[in-house]
Amino acid sequence: MSDPRTLAVIILALPLFAAILAWICGASPTTKKFAHVPLIVACGTAAVIAFVLLNKMLDGYAGQYVTENPLTWFSAGYLKVQYTIAVDSLSAIMLGMVTFIATMIAIFSGGYMHGDKGFFRYFAIMSLFVFSMCGLVLANNFLLLVAFWEGVGLCSYLLIGYYYDKPSAAAAARKAFLVTRLGDTGFLLGIFLLWKMGNWNTDLNLLFDYIAKHPPEPGTLTTACLLLFCGAVGKSAQFPLYVWLPDAMEGPTPVSALIHAATMVTAGVYLLARCSPLFVRAPEAQIIVAWIGGITALLAAFIALAQTDLKRILAYSTVSQLGFMFLALGTSGPISPAFAVTAAMFHLFTHAFFKALLFLSAGSVMHAMGGVIDVRQFGGLRKLMPITHFTFLCGAAALAGFPLLSGFWSKDMIFESLTEASESQSKYTAGYFTLFLMAALTAFLTAFYTFRAYFLTFWGPERIPAEAGHHAHESPGTMTLPLIVLAIGAVFVGGVMEPFTHWFSDFLQTTPAMTQAVIASQAQSVEHHFNWALIGTSTVLALAGIGIAFALYRNGGAEKAPPGLDKVFALSRNKLYVDEIYYAALVKPAEVLAFLLRVFDGFLDGLARLIAAIPRFIGDLVRPIQNGLVQFYALSMVLGLAVFLTFVVFRITR
Amino acid sequence: MTLFALTKTQEAGGQIALAAILGVVGFFLLLPRPRGRFVPGGIAALIGSAAVFGAMVYSTFGNPASDVVGSVLFWLFSAGALIFGTVLVVQRNPARGAIAFAFVILSTCGLFLLLAAPFLMAATIIIYAGAIIVTFLFVLMLSHAEGPSDENDRSREPLSGGFAGFAFVGLVLFTLYQTSLAHLPNDGGKDKEQHTPHLPMAVLTPEERQTLANAVVKLDEAEKALDGDIGSHTARDERIVAFDKAFTLALNDLSDVVGGPYTFGPSPQAGTSPAQTAQIRDGSLHQRLFVKKPTTPQAKLYREDQQALEAIERAARIRGLSEGTFKKVEDNLQRDTPDVSAAKAEVRKLRDEVVILHGMGQLPARNVANLGFILYADHLLAVELAGTLLLVATIGAVAVAHRKGVTQ
Amino acid sequence: MNITLWHFLAVAAALFGIGLVGFLTRRNLITMFLCAEMMLQGVAINFVAFARYHGNLHGQVFVLFILAVAACEAGVALALFLSLYRRRRSLDTSDWQELRELGVPPTVDTEPLEVVKEEPLPTLTPAGARPQPTAEEVARV
Repeated sequence: MSDPRTLAVIILALPLFAAILAWICGASPTTKKFAHVPLIVACGTAAVIAFVLLNKMLDGYAGQYVTENPLTWFSAGYLKVQYTIAVDSLSAIMLGMVTFIATMIAIFSGGYMHGDKGFFRYFAIMSLFVFSMCGLVLANNFLLLVAFWEGVGLCSYLLIGYYYDKPSAAAAARKAFLVTRLGDTGFLLGIFLLWKMGNWNTDLNLLFDYIAKHPPEPGTLTTACLLLFCGAVGKSAQFPLYVWLPDAMEGPTPVSALIHAATMVTAGVYLLARCSPLFVRAPEAQIIVAWIGGITALLAAFIALAQTDLKRILAYSTVSQLGFMFLALGTSGPISPAFAVTAAMFHLFTHAFFKALLFLSAGSVMHAMGGVIDVRQFGGLRKLMPITHFTFLCGAAALAGFPLLSGFWSKDMIFESLTEASESQSKYTAGYFTLFLMAALTAFLTAFYTFRAYFLTFWGPERIPAEAGHHAHESPGTMTLPLIVLAIGAVFVGGVMEPFTHWFSDFLQTTPAMTQAVIASQAQSVEHHFNWALIGTSTVLALAGIGIAFALYRNGGAEKAPPGLDKVFALSRNKLYVDEIYYAALVKPAEVLAFLLRVFDGFLDGLARLIAAIPRFIGDLVRPIQNGLVQFYALSMVLGLAVFLTFVVFRITR
Repeated sequence: MTLFALTKTQEAGGQIALAAILGVVGFFLLLPRPRGRFVPGGIAALIGSAAVFGAMVYSTFGNPASDVVGSVLFWLFSAGALIFGTVLVVQRNPARGAIAFAFVILSTCGLFLLLAAPFLMAATIIIYAGAIIVTFLFVLMLSHAEGPSDENDRSREPLSGGFAGFAFVGLVLFTLYQTSLAHLPNDGGKDKEQHTPHLPMAVLTPEERQTLANAVVKLDEAEKALDGDIGSHTARDERIVAFDKAFTLALNDLSDVVGGPYTFGPSPQAGTSPAQTAQIRDGSLHQRLFVKKPTTPQAKLYREDQQALEAIERAARIRGLSEGTFKKVEDNLQRDTPDVSAAKAEVRKLRDEVVILHGMGQLPARNVANLGFILYADHLLAVELAGTLLLVATIGAVAVAHRKGVTQ
Repeated sequence: MNITLWHFLAVAAALFGIGLVGFLTRRNLITMFLCAEMMLQGVAINFVAFARYHGNLHGQVFVLFILAVAACEAGVALALFLSLYRRRRSLDTSDWQELRELGVPPTVDTEPLEVVKEEPLPTLTPAGARPQPTAEEVARV
């Protein structure tokens, strides 16, 4: 019972059973109301067990527990795929974070989705999602990882399209699935290439061991890493495949909080962290990762400046923050991976808290406003919803990087990794420095748009839209409790974990992947210190952003742009026309091609039908011979005999 | 009928085709049709067809029999069969058709008689013209159609049917023509008198048969020569000399046919050229026994069937017997106690063998008795099966015609 | 005497041919059957001619069997004709066409039969009641 692997399997199994139970609950109207209970119980228990697991990992053996005697999924020739899971510090941290946030969101959803007619469906799919995410985190085999990868994608599709009778929701779900599918193709190709390089070891630990012993040629490894990164680009909504995340806000808000803020979109970051022994050996891949992260961060921050939909602002903010994480991951070669990956994972950790908090607060606002989330239609809600207001403020401050809050510390680590990388032995130091500047600008913009959203929602004259009706009051306890818990986490978890105690980085570095990566990179380790220059810079950036936002939007007016930047803001509000460009360049030609293929298919159908008609035609010609008259049959026989005799007679008597 | 310079095959083929076409036309005109038929034309066409057919048969095969009465009877019966057959086919009224059929049977039985099958003639008349036709007439009575009806006044595809039937017959006749070797050219002036196509050779030529008959007579005389006084040695010697004279004559005849140690006896009549001699012997038993390689096309169709082999066997046996008969008779008569009857028995034995050889290739005299004998000796199984078939057919007929559920 | 086999074979072939034509063309069941018997007669002549030619009686034996089989055939065939007549009241072969292929239309006669107008036989007025035939009498064949 105390084996970490057993605990991990229990954590996996609990949400699965919760999913089945929730589905069964939907059978009768009386049990439908309690469909949220299995999920809350399962996630809560899983969170507790994850905490126990963390303790165990902290106390005892520092390393990795891999399944012994695993079941074989299939084996064909020299390819053998087994069900193996690996429990180490990386997965333990992720498990803890995922289950805890899931519990909070489950409690929130119980109140948010109250009265909805698809209540049990929501919780069943959400339980399935938690199961898939835990499986993704724990999987030690690439194919198993892909299976859970697809599982989370499926649950995301189902939950985005939860309100399936809305055409926009159905379209958004399709878009999410197809765009991530693009990334997944590259992901699979990268996996196959890795298998080939790794002598067909499909388990991650064996694969990394093999590659460490037999380093492949750098070109192939770079290609494989870049293909793996494709999957991350799709799933974690990086440029150019980020377009699905803003549209995914069509789903219910707790879904956005769980899936599109805290857990699913972080799967890409987790993948790269897991595969850091590989990435560390491919500096070209790393710089590309960093650039993509940087571009995404800046682009998303730019687009978020002028959005009018509160959830959209938060969605673009997520994309931007994920870009930050990839920035940190991209420095993992030039500087010690222990630092770089730790920076990314730490930011992921804190981001999960404050982003989930922000989304849940937005959900609370939406619930109170009767489903309206356009900031142009409401304002000045701080008196109306005090708890929501306070928690939103905590989350916004953490996101903006207000000094001493969790986001501040994690963003700081990222800046530090970037500056260290730009002073390292790598040949891309200029690139890393440019990226540092981009990250600084993005931090400023982050602070600006976050507090723009805050001021537009909670400050200014109080306006309540007509749809609110009798909903316009503070949310009930089931919804505010998680908000408070998450607010506490958003504020304190950063400062507690890392800057002074280094619990997080110490724990994370015990992962064997980390040690392998460190050995492979041969870079100097970064000591723990306080870089006061960086701290000062980030403080200034954050406060400047908050200040300008305060000055502009204190009294509402979402359409206002800073003087002279009207055109820029218009471009930002139209999302830089990216969706329209994609439609014209990719979707329309695909439609034309589909039409042509349909015509060709019709032609082939016609050809097949023509060939099928030939025997029928011949049969129609020949069938009247059998007309039922005996004398006719006798006549045919005699004629045939006459022909035969003619042949015989004139041949033989020649 | 030689209008053009055609080969014999083409000529005969043309004649057959002409007969067939005229036959088709005739039948087409005569078969019952709802809108009436053109009877005179049909009859004319059929007569023309029959004429062409008869001319072809006559020119190819010659006279059917060597005597006038036989030929006349043959032509009469054949014509009767064909004419009444035609009447049966074209007659509208089925009852009249049945009567025509009766006449067909009578003609056919006449042909049977000409072919030495008297029992069959009687049996066919009794069964067919008696039993079967009467049954037909009864059924006809029960199912007679009044006035014009579909079945009597319509024909199903008269042209195709006629064409199919006559095509079939024409092909059979053409095959007959080809296999009769009538298409082969005459060689020189040898066969000027003979119109007979060259049949596969009979076992014995007629001349050989005559020779064998003469040999039988001479053997009888030789046997008679043994009668008389055999008391004293001189008397016996006289007997032996007389026997020898008569026996030698017989043996000469025999050797002509079967060969033997006396092969080179008195030569055939002077005045016959060697060619005629060869001709006489062509295809004969003599040829089969002594000429190993057939040289003429006629002899090419050597019959290697049972009969020929049997004949060769018998000839060998006669040869063997005849070699020892004189010796045996002489020994017998020169003994102290001569046994004339035994000597005569020896001669008679030889004579019987010669008689049997003489009768090879001819039907036995007592038709009914031999028919019965062969039935039960060689075809017993078939007889049993035929009997079973008749029983089953009787039961079947009763079962089929039974009406369900109606009590009479 | 030289046996001329060929004449008899030719006559037998001609007889067979006539029988074949009649079998293929006539529609009355009884006439068809008689033509079949005629074909058998042609074959019988063939057999007997060959028997004469070969000088043995095997051919004549076979003709005896032909005779026996023809007798059986006649019995069974007539029973069948009676059954068929009971169903359709006619002896026409073309009445029985149901075993044709699906979708093939039945073959019907296009030319009409001429109706022979017969003068009815002179009758006297019946004196007394004419007996009605019972159902049994009508149906009995």
